[in-house]
Amino acid sequence: MKNSIKVQRAIHDMTQADLANHIGVSRQSINAIEKNKYVPSTVLALKIAKLFKKSVEDIFYLESNE
Amino acid sequence: MKTNYLLPNKYKTIGWILFIIGIVSGILFYASEYESEVLIVNVLSVYNGEPLFGESKSFFQIIENSIVDELITLAIIIGGLIVGFTKEKIEDEFIYKLRKDSLVWALIFNYAVLIFATIFIYDFAYFDVLVFNMFTPLVFFVFRFNFLKYKSQSHEE
Repeated sequence: MKNSIKVQRAIHDMTQADLANHIGVSRQSINAIEKNKYVPSTVLALKIAKLFKKSVEDIFYLESNE
Repeated sequence: MKTNYLLPNKYKTIGWILFIIGIVSGILFYASEYESEVLIVNVLSVYNGEPLFGESKSFFQIIENSIVDELITLAIIIGGLIVGFTKEKIEDEFIYKLRKDSLVWALIFNYAVLIFATIFIYDFAYFDVLVFNMFTPLVFFVFRFNFLKYKSQSHEE
């Protein structure tokens, strides 16, 4: 699974730490998610999407082989 | 992330202090070949005697013993447990996963080393293996968890 969190962060001019603070997780989590090392739970994905006022599918999407 | 086995974050410093003191003094104690003449007190021995050396077994006896090694052992184990099982400043699902993965790997690593040592180390040298093996799961767990946590914190571009 890939995501466009980094792009969204750039649009909203947020650092990883800002985003982490807003949704109440550690910076490590945001970093790991952006690097596609960690797939967030549905709850966390929904929170991120809500913050960026997008749907979850706009931010998280499957790769072609999945 | 809700967990019911984690202590509050404030105990973490105490844990680190105990853990580090324990490991350092443990290494010194090991280097001095388990010799110690200090802190000799009466202790309650629930089970005593070494059949290996022809001594008879006894139960529930008061014996004299230097408690240096016991204190070191307790410091490492209690310190390690506190360090490993206190909450992070921000506890979330990723940290939770890191901790669980580290535990699994610590167990696998520990028994892999033990298998290796069982095959290749014999006689009384194996006693050393047993002593180290009391601590390797905790030490490896704490090391891996903190290493990965530190690594995934790194720089943003």
